[in-house]
Amino acid sequence: MRIQKIISILLTLVLLFSLTACAAGGTNAGEPIVITDHAGRTVEITETPETIVSGYYITTSLVIALGLEDKLVGIEAKAASRPIYSLAAPELLELPNVGTAKEFNLEACIELEPDLVILPLKLKGVAEQLGELDIPAICVNPENDTLLSETVDMISAATGTEETAEKLLAYSDDALSALSDTLKDADKPSVYLAGNSSYLSTAGAEMYQNTLLENAGCTNAAASVTDTYWAEISYEQLLEWNPEYIVIVPAASYTAEDILNDEALSGLSAVQNGQVYAMPADYESWDSPVPSAFMGSLWIASQIHGDLYSEADYAETLKDFYETFYDFAPNA
Amino acid sequence: MKKHNLLIFALLTGTAFILSLFIGQYSIHLADMGDPSSMSFRVFFTLRLPRTVMAALAGAGLALAGYVFQTLFSNPIAAPDIIGVSSGASAGAACMILLMGSHTLLTAGGAMLGGFLAVMLTIALAKQAGSDRTASFLLAGVAVNAIAQALLMLMKRSADPERQLASIEYWIMGSFASVTLSEVVPAAILALCGIVPLFLLSKTVSLLSLQTDEAQMLGVPVAAMRMIVLILTTLVVTSITSITGLISFIGLIAPHAARLIRKNNDRRTMLLSMLIGAVLVLVSDSIARSWGSSEIPISILTSLIGAPYLVFLLRKGGHTLD
Repeated sequence: MRIQKIISILLTLVLLFSLTACAAGGTNAGEPIVITDHAGRTVEITETPETIVSGYYITTSLVIALGLEDKLVGIEAKAASRPIYSLAAPELLELPNVGTAKEFNLEACIELEPDLVILPLKLKGVAEQLGELDIPAICVNPENDTLLSETVDMISAATGTEETAEKLLAYSDDALSALSDTLKDADKPSVYLAGNSSYLSTAGAEMYQNTLLENAGCTNAAASVTDTYWAEISYEQLLEWNPEYIVIVPAASYTAEDILNDEALSGLSAVQNGQVYAMPADYESWDSPVPSAFMGSLWIASQIHGDLYSEADYAETLKDFYETFYDFAPNA
Repeated sequence: MKKHNLLIFALLTGTAFILSLFIGQYSIHLADMGDPSSMSFRVFFTLRLPRTVMAALAGAGLALAGYVFQTLFSNPIAAPDIIGVSSGASAGAACMILLMGSHTLLTAGGAMLGGFLAVMLTIALAKQAGSDRTASFLLAGVAVNAIAQALLMLMKRSADPERQLASIEYWIMGSFASVTLSEVVPAAILALCGIVPLFLLSKTVSLLSLQTDEAQMLGVPVAAMRMIVLILTTLVVTSITSITGLISFIGLIAPHAARLIRKNNDRRTMLLSMLIGAVLVLVSDSIARSWGSSEIPISILTSLIGAPYLVFLLRKGGHTLD
């Protein structure tokens, strides 16, 4: 009686083990996935990751878009400042943070025992340290459209979400090419993009934000600036450019009123015509290469080319995009 | 030759001032200057002229402050930083940027308050250690500097990297890019309230550099005068840096250049160092705003132009402070 019981328990255990082994083999599909990241490192991923750490808000947003938010076990610091998290995945705000690109908390990251770590290129050194501990880490550098789609390809390959990734990339490509068809005969007014820290900081031709303006059917008033980071300019320079429109980035620390009330700028035609617009700050920093960045171009187009592309057109795409990829309905 | 130095530098300052008025990103049309409603007229009087005045004033004021500190503390490397003014002002500005966002006047107010608080703390600490010795001031200054730097780093650490941190970094690098008429007027009045009395007190400043008992024998109320001179200098430095951010090296280099040229320590040397400071900042700022579309932080240029000039003078003349 007793021996029979032991045998039956043993048999059940053997059965269970073989079942789980089968299951693991099933998801694994044999060959390990090899990824070359933006740091030129080769990263081998043997099993579909079940736990992910993202050290960068652009990749955290991407991970949500790929439907992997439940696998996140740690994200970058200061998550509360990103409205998209509370809209699309409020549970992320409760996750432990692994620091910032400047001060990454390596031990906190290891403590979370992630199967995959996604880091900005700046943290290449950290990625190598993680690699030595057999924790696969991918460094990405989504600084422009091409690098963003490469980033999407890498992360989707690593996580087995290629199908969603393809849809995500096609969505913005389709939206932007439809917009460029709509605007093909329109004038390209000059737009000054006012940066985060001050409205005398702006993005030149070398920056991603230049693409944002060009996609919206405008010319960048600051195209002559060659800096690769936000550049500081003078009042005089802005007056000399005399842009027709001023667009304020979503995370700016000032308001359109501040620009309209600045006496030194009262001679600008954008100010005199009241054409100073702040980008919506309710969702994401559309001025940075997040998967939803194309929405920034759509929004700018709806403000500047309202006769061809209306705010209703923009609101419709906004709703559809966030419902499809981020599972929430924006109230625009 | 000695007498002509002042005249030469006065002419140089004048030339740099006038050139600076004609350099900038906005093309001013002389033909429109008669019409007060024209854009050229407004750019000239609300932006170009205030910026040039501020650059000249900043150069002269910081050079004067450096001169006073070097004399007062009989220390060749004394500069406004030494008693904590600069780092106090940086911490004050950073604090305002964190609390109130990048609001120009509030940031300026924070910088001024921070600078003054740091100096008051230095003075209080020095008094504890016996304020009749200059060494107490220097050591207290080192301590206050370190505290202010630590606070600054703490604030930078908690700053939002895209908005606040960038604002703090730009403020610390110094710039005349956002100077307009409405800021220059109060800053200039405050700075002059310090510059004019300091200039008149130049003899007393020289006497304060002597041993305390020697100065007292010559009829100088040492402790009181030292306090007054410190407060006036702090007023000059904070009223300038609150608008421009930190401008490095001018306070150190201009007085030395003046002494190397004149080889003594009188009122004319003080004036010469102010003129040299003004020329250096005017030239640096003219380059800062005309090199490309984006501004070059002023401290990069004042250091790059000032340091080789000092080396040139040192090679030519040898050191004469002692």
